[in-house]
Amino acid sequence: MIALLVDILSGAALTAGAAFYLIGAIGMTRMPDVFTRMHAVSVSETMGVGLMALGMILQAGPSLLAIKIAFVVLVLWATGAVATHALSRAALHDGVKPLLAGPDGRLVATDCVDLFPELGVRLAQPLSSETPEERGTPLPEDGAVIAEPAPGYGPAGNTGANPDAEPDPTREGR
Amino acid sequence: MMFAVAILGVLAALSLAVIRALKGPTAFDRLLAANAIGTSAIVLLALFGFMTGRPEFLDIGITYALLNMIGTLAVLKFFRYGALGHAQDAVKEREPE
Repeated sequence: MIALLVDILSGAALTAGAAFYLIGAIGMTRMPDVFTRMHAVSVSETMGVGLMALGMILQAGPSLLAIKIAFVVLVLWATGAVATHALSRAALHDGVKPLLAGPDGRLVATDCVDLFPELGVRLAQPLSSETPEERGTPLPEDGAVIAEPAPGYGPAGNTGANPDAEPDPTREGR
Repeated sequence: MMFAVAILGVLAALSLAVIRALKGPTAFDRLLAANAIGTSAIVLLALFGFMTGRPEFLDIGITYALLNMIGTLAVLKFFRYGALGHAQDAVKEREPE
């Protein structure tokens, strides 16, 4: 009796999890830009994976196996959030413009620096949380950097919080 | 039976992610799809192990989850700095003292 109940429950969880997973993947294929696609993928990475893991845990019963599944899911939840955060931050720094509703309600690729001046200041700073002083000597002004940082937010000279920081118009969006 | 249904669903999601990885206009789309493919692979490993009665596959899944995370962050760092080390080190090596 109990076994049948557990079977039904785990079957329902597995099926629902697979459905959520598929919905997230469909969203990733059909959404219009990078940020909305990330939003869709988070559905499959939280609900989809979580429900499928619940189904597998119910099948495994109280054992080491259940603990392992729980560990995998916790790792996926933690790293999924971190990876999404890093991805969106890198995309913003790279100059990808999110699609936002324009005045007439249609989606327009908007430079969000215009909307949020605070964000412009943060984008003007290097990605690393360290200041040049913490890293050691500051980089030379005319920076002989192998990886030429995109103009506007180079590691040197531009680290002081400059409230008037504007993105370089020559910055190319991908 | 129910494992087969779940595996089919995850496989369909995997193929959709592959489509996005091939189409993706920006590199970030492709990276997002690569991350999703990695997650799908982990889930597939776990489900397939359960279906065939060999849940030891889960250990491979754990390893793959950790590697997936590191890979994504490494590629993102490469986008930003053009190198995987510190930008500072690159400058030091290049500068003739």
